[in-house]
Amino acid sequence: MKLNEARLAFMSSSAESTASPDRSFFWRRLHSVSGVFPVGAFLLEHLYTNSYAINGVEAYNEKVRGLTELPMVLILEIAFIYIPIAYHALYGVWVWWRGDGNVTHYPWTGNWMYSLQRWTGLVTMAYIAFHVWEQRFAGVHIIENYFVAFSKVQHSIARPAVHAFYVVGLLSACFHFAYGLWLFACKWGFAPGRAAQKKLLWACAALFLVLSSAGLMSLRSISTAPLQPRPEELLKMRSQKSVARSQGPEAAGKRSAF
Amino acid sequence: MADSKTVEIRIKRQLTPDGPSRRETFRVPLRPGLNIIGALMMIAENPVTAEGRQTVPVSYDANCLEEVCGSCAMVINGKVHMACSALIERLDQPIRLEPMSRFPVVRDLQVDRSRLFRDLQRVKAWIPIDGTYDLGPGPRMSQREQEAAYHFARCISCGSCLEVCPQYNDQTQFVGAAVLGQVRLFNSHPTGQMNAPERLEALLGPGGIHECGYAQNCVEICPKDIPLTQAISEVGGQVMRHVLLGFLRK
Repeated sequence: MKLNEARLAFMSSSAESTASPDRSFFWRRLHSVSGVFPVGAFLLEHLYTNSYAINGVEAYNEKVRGLTELPMVLILEIAFIYIPIAYHALYGVWVWWRGDGNVTHYPWTGNWMYSLQRWTGLVTMAYIAFHVWEQRFAGVHIIENYFVAFSKVQHSIARPAVHAFYVVGLLSACFHFAYGLWLFACKWGFAPGRAAQKKLLWACAALFLVLSSAGLMSLRSISTAPLQPRPEELLKMRSQKSVARSQGPEAAGKRSAF
Repeated sequence: MADSKTVEIRIKRQLTPDGPSRRETFRVPLRPGLNIIGALMMIAENPVTAEGRQTVPVSYDANCLEEVCGSCAMVINGKVHMACSALIERLDQPIRLEPMSRFPVVRDLQVDRSRLFRDLQRVKAWIPIDGTYDLGPGPRMSQREQEAAYHFARCISCGSCLEVCPQYNDQTQFVGAAVLGQVRLFNSHPTGQMNAPERLEALLGPGGIHECGYAQNCVEICPKDIPLTQAISEVGGQVMRHVLLGFLRK
C-alpha cells in the first residue's frame, strides 16, 4: 500500500518537474560559490583593512577613509556585501534546517566538521547582524565621519560581553570560511583524490590559523590602545574645530585665494 | 544480566508498516563465532522472550551471509552494520537491534529500500546494451580505469551510506552516496559514457548531487570500503562541467 503511494508520489513529482524545471541545483551551488566570492573575498579584505589597527588609530582611520572614498560606495556595499551575505546566510539557514545532524551517533571527524560548519554559520550570522547594525547603522555614521572608526569599535568592545562576542564571531567566521573553501574544492570536483583532499584540508587549517590570528591581533590592538574619546565627542570636537576654522582669519584668507 | 554462556538481545519490533513499535528482549546461548543472523535464527527456532513469554519470530532480510548481497543491514548498538558480519563476541552487551531509520519499516528489522532502487533508476545506473540487432563489441577500457572502477562495482546497495547520511531524508530527497558511486562507475565505462549526460541531468533535479553536505559518513561506514567521497567529488566536477559547458555551447 505504502509502496504504491510512494510510486504515485514519485510519478507525480517527476511530471511536475518537467512542467517547471527544478532550480535547487542552481540555488545550492550559488550559495556555495557566493561563500567564496564575494562573501569570502570580503572577509579577507575586511580582516586586511582591520589589521591596520595594529599600526595605530591614525593608520586605521585613514584606511577606513580610503574605503569610504571608493566611487559608488553604497552600490558596492549593496551589490558585493549586503545581498551576497544575506543570500548566503538565509539559504544557509535553509540548508541547516533540512539536514539531520547525527554527530552523537556517528562521531567521525568529517561529521563533526559538518555540524561545526552549520553551527559556525549560525553564530557568524548572528554576529554579523549585530556587528553591521552597531558599526554601520547605529550611532555616528562612519561613511560621513571616517575619523570615528577606531573609537567606535573600541567603545563597542570595551564591554566585556561584546568583546567576547567579537572573539567568538571572528573565530566562527574564519572557521566557516576556511572549511567552506575546502568543501567548495571537494564538492565542485577540484580536489577529488583522498590525498589531495587531505593536503588541502591542512592548507585550509593553516588559512584558518592565519586569518583568525590576524583578526585577534587587530582586535587586541584596538582594545589595548589608549581609550579614544567617544564617537559623539569626536564629532563634536571636529565640528567645533571646523566652525572655528571657518570663522577665523585663515579660513577667510583661504576663501579669498580661490 | 546475561551470564557468560548466554547473550541478551533487545530488538525493536513492529508488526505492521504503520503499527506501533515495542521492544522485546531475548536470551540466546553464546556460541563461538556467532553472528547476529545466527542469533536471530536461534530466536526463530524458539521465539520466547527473556521473560518467558511466547512471541513470533523476528522478521529480517538476509541472504548471502557473507557481506555481499547487502540485504541484512540493520542498526546494531546504535550503528548501522551488516548483521552477517557483526560478530556477537565483538559487540557490547546487551545487544540492541533496530531497523534502519531512513527507510520505511516493513516488519521488525525488515525495511523497504524502494527509494534506493528508484533513485538508481532515476540516474539510469546501468549500461544499455540491448538492441534489435547486434551492437557489436564496445570500446576497450584501459587497465587503469578498470582498476579505478572496480571499487565502485563492489557496491552491494546495502544502504548503510544512506542510513548515516545527515542529508538523506524526505525533505531533501537526496539520492545519496551509493547512487552517486554508481554514476561514477557507469559514466567512466566506455559504453556507459554514452549516457553520461542523461545521468548528470538527473543529478541536477530534486535531491541531486547538490544536496550532499560532504559529512563523509558514507565513506566511513561503507562495508565495502568504496571511495564514495571521491565519487561524489568526481561526479560533482562532471555535473559542473556539464552545466557550464552546456550553457556556453547553447
